Amino acid sequence: MKDYHGIIFAYSTENELRELVSVRNTAALPFCGRYRLIDFALSSLRNAGVFNVGIIMQKEYQSLLNHLGSGKPWDMSRRVGGLRILPPFGLPENHSGKYDGTVEALNAVSSYIKDIPQEHVILLKGNICANLDLDAAIELHESTDAPITAICSEHASEGRHHRCVLDENGFVEKMVYDRMNDCEGVPSLGGYIIHKNLLLQLMDMCKAANLFRFHKDAIATYLREGGKMNAYIHKGYAGTVSSVEAYYRINMDMLNAENRRSVFNPKRPVFTKMHEEVSTYYGEKAQSRNSLVADNCIIEGEIENCIVFSGARIAAGAKLRNCIVMDGCTVGEGCDLKCVIADKNVCFSENTVLTGAPGLPVVVPKNFKI
Amino acid sequence: MAKKCIAMLLAGGQGSRLYALTQNVAKPNVPFGGKYRIIDFPLSNCANSGIDTVGVLTQYRPQRLNSYIGNGQPWDLDVADGGVYILPPYQSAGEKGSWFSGTANAIYQNIGFIDSYDPENVLILSGDHIYKMDYDDMLRDHLAHDAACTISVLQVSMEEATRFGIMNVGEDGFISEFEEKPAHPKSDLASMGIYIFNWKKLRAYLIADENDPESSKDFGKNVIPAMLNAGEKLWPYRFDGYWRDVGTITSLWDANMDMLSTTLINLYDPSWPIGSRSPVCPPHVTGDEARIIHSIVTEGCEIYGHVENSVLSPNVRVDKNANVLYSVLMPGAVVEEGAVVEYAIIGENTVVGANAHVGAPPDGTDKWGVATCGPDIEIRSGAQVPSGAMIYTGEEV
Repeated sequence: MKDYHGIIFAYSTENELRELVSVRNTAALPFCGRYRLIDFALSSLRNAGVFNVGIIMQKEYQSLLNHLGSGKPWDMSRRVGGLRILPPFGLPENHSGKYDGTVEALNAVSSYIKDIPQEHVILLKGNICANLDLDAAIELHESTDAPITAICSEHASEGRHHRCVLDENGFVEKMVYDRMNDCEGVPSLGGYIIHKNLLLQLMDMCKAANLFRFHKDAIATYLREGGKMNAYIHKGYAGTVSSVEAYYRINMDMLNAENRRSVFNPKRPVFTKMHEEVSTYYGEKAQSRNSLVADNCIIEGEIENCIVFSGARIAAGAKLRNCIVMDGCTVGEGCDLKCVIADKNVCFSENTVLTGAPGLPVVVPKNFKI
Repeated sequence: MAKKCIAMLLAGGQGSRLYALTQNVAKPNVPFGGKYRIIDFPLSNCANSGIDTVGVLTQYRPQRLNSYIGNGQPWDLDVADGGVYILPPYQSAGEKGSWFSGTANAIYQNIGFIDSYDPENVLILSGDHIYKMDYDDMLRDHLAHDAACTISVLQVSMEEATRFGIMNVGEDGFISEFEEKPAHPKSDLASMGIYIFNWKKLRAYLIADENDPESSKDFGKNVIPAMLNAGEKLWPYRFDGYWRDVGTITSLWDANMDMLSTTLINLYDPSWPIGSRSPVCPPHVTGDEARIIHSIVTEGCEIYGHVENSVLSPNVRVDKNANVLYSVLMPGAVVEEGAVVEYAIIGENTVVGANAHVGAPPDGTDKWGVATCGPDIEIRSGAQVPSGAMIYTGEEV
């Protein structure tokens, strides 16, 4: 879609993700064996033919930069346009360095947004696990005279989130904020397709009034003043990674075939950084049940209901149940792990026993040796 | 810029002894070892050895090989002053143009391409060998001995020597004689079909060979003997790693089985990565009743049944109660519920229907062989495919 430009918000580090975001921001979180969360937003844009994409980042972005490279895996390494990394560059000198809201993040890169040659901008959050059909969303966006379309989800969302309440014509009547699932309206995925001029107007309006928040300030004011907004309702799986528990649950949701087929829909592949990799080898006594296993692993032990990232080594006699084991982890002989999230390059020495619960998984931080 | 060494990869042969597997693709493009195609090995060896210019000579069914190689990016061969080039036969002004009539003729027809890089040396490779080799080390050996040609050789047993081109070595260590498949070998040094030539010398011999109407335009049969007769210095480069020719069904199956043993060839060694153009797919999935033993499995696979001693390529599906034993499953192959696949090679996107049975374990007789199904075949439910069978695309089974 040559008239569309993507902006991905990849600046946030949700506190509830604790140790997992001490070394990276949320969008760079490793996910489901071989991906990073931002792959979903990038691939959704790419699959809709949107190759001009700006990524707003702020802090702890080293691992995100490393993952993105030139944008090649998403076909965004282009001669004209392509992927642009947007660190803060329009902030006042005495700024704390932390964005108070989405509008402030946008205003920090306002000169970039002003120069966007495309007519429409697609705003997406970098911490959502969903394979969005943006072609369908764009079709809806163009079918009415509303200059903005909210991207919502049919799938219930856990935790507090914003919701769009629709009128009988399907337009958004109002938004309600920080609600749970039993409330009116449909959950918002925090994404919008918006006419560039309207976006600039809203940014200016907020800046003048010293307001920071996109949904609560900008959109609320727009709707209150009678502005029209479409709601595109995403039909498949959607999850927002905002806490350790949500991260764990959304990963585990991928073990369910229906969820997996929605997220890894072969018609809209999820692209990610390519690794130089080998197949996974299963040994003579290995057992692998109901698990997702990336390449380059050597598995001699037993895994059940696990997500195993690339390069893991699981020794004979080790038992892993309901665990997430990230890249390069080593699990020694006789280990017994339940409901554990092992960050990258964690090493469990022989006979380590570690037990968490599905609602309270044990997180072992990156590079730890136990 | 003049290059120290560029590589020319002979990928033109049909690979007729792979039958159904090369019905629609050239041999170098046949899937191998789970994630790879045969050509990944020489291309990765080039990249890992610091050779950044590779000409790939194709003439048999080159379409898929072309799209597989693309710009060479998976092997880091997408460089500004080199890269990987597909070189099909072509026609020049005022000439009729002709197919490559032999390995030497294929290089002869591309003298212009090689000259454009002005290389000091040219490395000649085949597209049907599985091995990891540092060509730079071979090049150093070649230069250290100031040889006109260096031939990579492998020590084989005397019985095996009758199946190879054998190099006899003189007292000075240089090659004194070359015998193709000798009945009574005098040496156990077999040629691996990997040559480094001084380009100026090779260029002259190629032109002379082309003008010889008696010549069959082959490196082993014509060019090497001509150089020996002329008294050129030919040096044997001794290689002692894993090396397999995968030109036949049995050798292809054997070499695939070797991939299950890291002691034979360690693909997990990060210092010598083998690149491949991988499809984009999620990690593999194992079901509640999956059993995977002594096997390699890769991205996009869905395993619900039993897999043992087997090599699985991307996007293979093995349904519940299906058994896959001692077999090679190429990309997208499906084994449906209750089916048995043993001692078999299943081609790309071929479906083995429910309760069908392909292949059989060795029974000690000469009749036994690996059962092979080409690509895009549907084996009907309950069908029996005996050991040693060869099923072509388009056949009804």
